[in-house]
Amino acid sequence: MLFRCQNCGGNMVYSPKHGGMFCPYCDGTGCEERVGGAGRMGGLDAAQDGNAAAVGGAAQEAETMKEGLTECVNCGAPLEIGKYNSTCKCAYCGSYVILDERVSGRYRPQRILPFQIGKEGVVKKMKEEFKSRIFTPESFLSEATLEEMKGMYVPFWLYDYKVHCGFSGRGTKIRVWTSGSTEYTETSHYRVERDMDMDFDQVPVDASIEMGDEAMDLMEPFDYGQLEGFSENYMSGFYGEIYNMEAGELEGRAEGKVGKDAESLLKETVTGYHTLAQEHKAVEAVRKGVCHALLPVWRYRYQYQGREYVFYINGQTGKIAGVAPVSKKKVLAYSGTVFALVWAAFTLLSHIVEVI
Amino acid sequence: MGRYFRYFRWHFFCVGVLAVIYAGILLLHGSADAGGRGNGECLTGERVFDYGEVLSEEEEEKLRQLIARRERQTGCDIILVTLDESLEGYAREREANVPWEEFVRVYAEEFYDGNRFGYNKPIGDGVLLVDNWHREADGNVYTWLCTVGKADEKYNLARMEHLLDQVYRYVEKNPYKAYKAYIEGVYHDMTGNAMHMPMLSWMFPFGMGCAAMLFFVAIHWKGREGKKTVTAVTYVNGGKPCINKKEDILLHRTVTQRKIQTGAGSGSRSGGGGSSSHSHGGHHGGAGHHR
Repeated sequence: MLFRCQNCGGNMVYSPKHGGMFCPYCDGTGCEERVGGAGRMGGLDAAQDGNAAAVGGAAQEAETMKEGLTECVNCGAPLEIGKYNSTCKCAYCGSYVILDERVSGRYRPQRILPFQIGKEGVVKKMKEEFKSRIFTPESFLSEATLEEMKGMYVPFWLYDYKVHCGFSGRGTKIRVWTSGSTEYTETSHYRVERDMDMDFDQVPVDASIEMGDEAMDLMEPFDYGQLEGFSENYMSGFYGEIYNMEAGELEGRAEGKVGKDAESLLKETVTGYHTLAQEHKAVEAVRKGVCHALLPVWRYRYQYQGREYVFYINGQTGKIAGVAPVSKKKVLAYSGTVFALVWAAFTLLSHIVEVI
Repeated sequence: MGRYFRYFRWHFFCVGVLAVIYAGILLLHGSADAGGRGNGECLTGERVFDYGEVLSEEEEEKLRQLIARRERQTGCDIILVTLDESLEGYAREREANVPWEEFVRVYAEEFYDGNRFGYNKPIGDGVLLVDNWHREADGNVYTWLCTVGKADEKYNLARMEHLLDQVYRYVEKNPYKAYKAYIEGVYHDMTGNAMHMPMLSWMFPFGMGCAAMLFFVAIHWKGREGKKTVTAVTYVNGGKPCINKKEDILLHRTVTQRKIQTGAGSGSRSGGGGSSSHSHGGHHGGAGHHR
C-alpha cells in the first residue's frame, strides 16, 4: 500500500514536525488516501514462472519471507525487496510503499513509537555533536553524504518480567580506634538477609539482524509514554523491517539485561560491610508478557578510507551512537602542537618563577 | 588552517601571555639599577684577576664590561680570580688543619677581605669565584664560590652548587664561556628569587609536553561509541524494587588490641658548603667543587 494525497496525488508521508500525514508536494495535511496493493511478494516471479496459483497457510508465509521483486503501487516499476523489509522506496517515482503482507497477521506490530525528530532535526543534532570534534574528516556530514541518512523503524521485542531476588550471607564491619598507645580493632559479625521483588516492564531487545545489538542498546532508553497502537500511516516516509527473530529466540538477551539490573539493585541494598561472604543468592526471572513494537532510529552511513562508519540516532530522543571516523594524520599534527605549547608554557613558567 | 588556529587560540594566547610576562620581567631586571656604589675603601677597581692565564686580553675585557653592568644591576661586587699554583702552603699557614678542598676557600676569603671588596661597604655585598687550575697533590683541581653580605643571604647551598655546575659545564673547553656563565648566573640569581628548582629544569617541561601529547593522542585516536544512559531502574516498575526482607542481624562482636610501636626517626647529613666568620670581620658563605 501507499498513502496518496487526495489534493495532488503525491505520496503522503508521516511528518514528525507536523505530527501527522503530510504531503511534501502540496503541503497538504490530513488528506491521505490509502491505496492498496504491493502485498504479494514474488508476484513478478510467480507470474513469470506461470505459477500464479493462490498460495495459503505456511506456503504463503514462506512466500512472504522471500526476497525478490514486487511492483510499485504508484508507477508499476519493479521494487527490489530485502528479506526482512516491510517498506521500501521506489527508485523511480520516490514513493514509499508499505508491503501489506509484512504489516499484517503475525508480522503486524502491536505498538509503534512514531518518529519525533525529522531529518532536519537529526542533521542539526549531528552537526552540533560533531562541531567540536575537529578530527572527523571534512566530508563527514556534508550535504552529499547526508542524503544517505535513513529513518528506520526497527523491530523490537518488549519483554515484561517479574523478578525475585534472594540473598543471604555473613558480613563484617570493622571499626578501629586508638587510645593512648593502644590500637583497638572491633569486628562486628552480621547475618545479612535480603528478599526483594521487582517488575521489569517493556525491556527492549532489537529483533533486527542488520542493526548491531550494542548500537541498539545504546539507543535506549525510549520514552514509552509516546507508544501508539500500530498504524501503517507512521511508516510512510520511512524504512521498516519485520522482526528477524522470534521473541523466544531473543529471550536470553532480555533475561541477561534483567538479571544484570536485578543483581545491581540487590547489591545496592547490601552496603557498609568490609567483607561479605555469600551463602545463597538467587535471581529468578519469569516472563509475564512480550510485545512486538517498532521503534524509530535514524541511520547514517559514511565511508572513509575504505571503511564504513555507521551512526544511529534515536528518532525520539536524538541520542547518538556510533564510532566517528578520525583523521589520524590530523591528530598527530595537532598533538605536535600540543607538545610544543605545553613544553613552551612550562619552560616559560619555570623561568618566570625563577626570576620573580 | 582556520580551524587549527581556532582550536588552539586559547592555548596560543596563554603561551603568548606567559612569553610577554617573561619578557617584561627580563626587561625590568635589565633596566634595574641598584644605586650608586657605597664602598670608597676598596683597594682596586679590577674585577678580573687572571693569574692562571686562561683568558685572552680580549676575553678579560669583555668580562670586565659585563661585570660592570651586572654589578650596577645586582648591587654586588662580582670578582673572578683564576690561579695556577698550589695553595697548600698559603692555606695551611693561615689554618693549620684546613682540608684540601678548602685551600681555595681560605684564599678566596683572604682575597675578598684583603682588597676590601663589597658594593655597599668594605667587605660588604659581593661574590668571588676562585678557580685554581693547579692540580693539588691529592690529584684534584679546586674551585670556590665565596658569597658575602646580601649574596650570602640569597644563596643557599643548592643554588651555589647549581652555579658551580654551570661553570664546570664549560670550563675545560671554554673558560671564557664558563666565567661568563658565572657572571650571568649571579645576575640571574641576585635579581630573581634564587630558587633552584631542579624539577623545573628542561626535563620537566619536556616531560610534561610528552605527557600532554600522549594524552591528547590517546583520547582522540579512536572515536567514541556513545554513552550508556540506561540505569538499573530504568525498566523497573515504580522506579524501585519492592523489598520484602532486609535484615542485618548482629551475631557477635570481637575486639582486639595491639601496642603501637614508636621508633626514633633517622636522618641524613649532607655537606659541601658552609660559612665562616673571619678575623677581618666579614661573614662569608661559600661552596666548592673539584674536577
